[in-house]
Amino acid sequence: MANLLPLTDYATVQTWLDGLRQHWGGDPERDDPERLDILEAFCRFAEKDPDTIIEECVLMRDGEKRIRVKGRRRYADLIVQFQSQVEGSRIKRAKWGNTVRSFLIHNGILLQAGMQA
Amino acid sequence: MHTVRPDAFQTVLAGEMSMEFKEVIGRRRSIRFFEPEKPVEREKIQTILEAARLASCAVNAHWAKAIVIERDKLSDEQLEQMKTPVAALNIELAPVHIYWYADLSVVNRMKGSRLKELVDVGALAPTHGWSHKFVDEFVYPQILKPMTESPAYAVAASTDVGVAICQALLTAFDEGLGACLSSFNVGIAKELFHVPDEWIPLYVLLVGYPAESWQAGGQRPRPPWDEQYFEGEHGKPFERDEAVVETLKQAKMIQTPATPNNPARIEEIKRLAERLGLPL
Repeated sequence: MANLLPLTDYATVQTWLDGLRQHWGGDPERDDPERLDILEAFCRFAEKDPDTIIEECVLMRDGEKRIRVKGRRRYADLIVQFQSQVEGSRIKRAKWGNTVRSFLIHNGILLQAGMQA
Repeated sequence: MHTVRPDAFQTVLAGEMSMEFKEVIGRRRSIRFFEPEKPVEREKIQTILEAARLASCAVNAHWAKAIVIERDKLSDEQLEQMKTPVAALNIELAPVHIYWYADLSVVNRMKGSRLKELVDVGALAPTHGWSHKFVDEFVYPQILKPMTESPAYAVAASTDVGVAICQALLTAFDEGLGACLSSFNVGIAKELFHVPDEWIPLYVLLVGYPAESWQAGGQRPRPPWDEQYFEGEHGKPFERDEAVVETLKQAKMIQTPATPNNPARIEEIKRLAERLGLPL
């Protein structure tokens, strides 16, 4: 997908970075400069922008925001696929997968993929 | 938990920490990071079950039933099926799972016989109006049997099992283990473990050695005392004596509370996440 904006222009990316900052302190962009690159790689892999990814994981029912089970499962599986095609060590693959999981988690999408190490 | 060991033996016994009852209560936390590959000794699991068996129980019915599952004896597919969205990681990390149920059939199977056992051993005595005849002619047919047909029966039985589970939970900590109560996938468990229809599922007690420090960030936040406990009537808080609070701090029942953004806890979780390969 060619028409991806700079990632920090997306509201869900800001939510993610704010969540990381509030929960863990520090500067999430500077502390791990790969973070945004990894998310961008996943967006290209999934062919979706960040806001669309989150949008596809939630739905509104009776005026309340709910997690969309199918969407969540689809992205959980996509992350596993994404992670498995990363070249390098198992630790590197785990980091790439967990970075994307972190993006979903801080946007309110519960994911527990288990131990990746 | 309650120990009669002389003081000299209370700190270290056979290389293990031994605690007084109040400290066990104080140290309990819901442990969510377990050492995934460190097995739990079978005798410790038995001790946990023995503690549950001795719990207080209404009408001596003993609704509590438990099925112990060693995680590594489940196939990968079975373990995957057992995971729930919220407890998936806990289920994966904990080497031992104890699935708790309330057996609703027990009262009508026993028909008061366990109450009569209490009469026989002098736990329920004529001084308090108890006799075999009272149980046979009044208690079972007029109280217990109708109770089993009441919509509130499952609640009563579950509450009772909760007492047993609590003793099991505290005993896990007394044995130097960590534990956490969690919901579980009841349909899959029923199928895999051949659970009788009369048993209603309650919680799974996940057990293992903690991978996190025993402090685990401190005692968890609790609602204000005045909102929880009353004296004489609702709305009139039970007066909390700070001298008692201080005594309980000395006894390690009331411990350092967990605080938001605790740097030590944040670092601990980061280390665990790196070691176990978990997202931040």
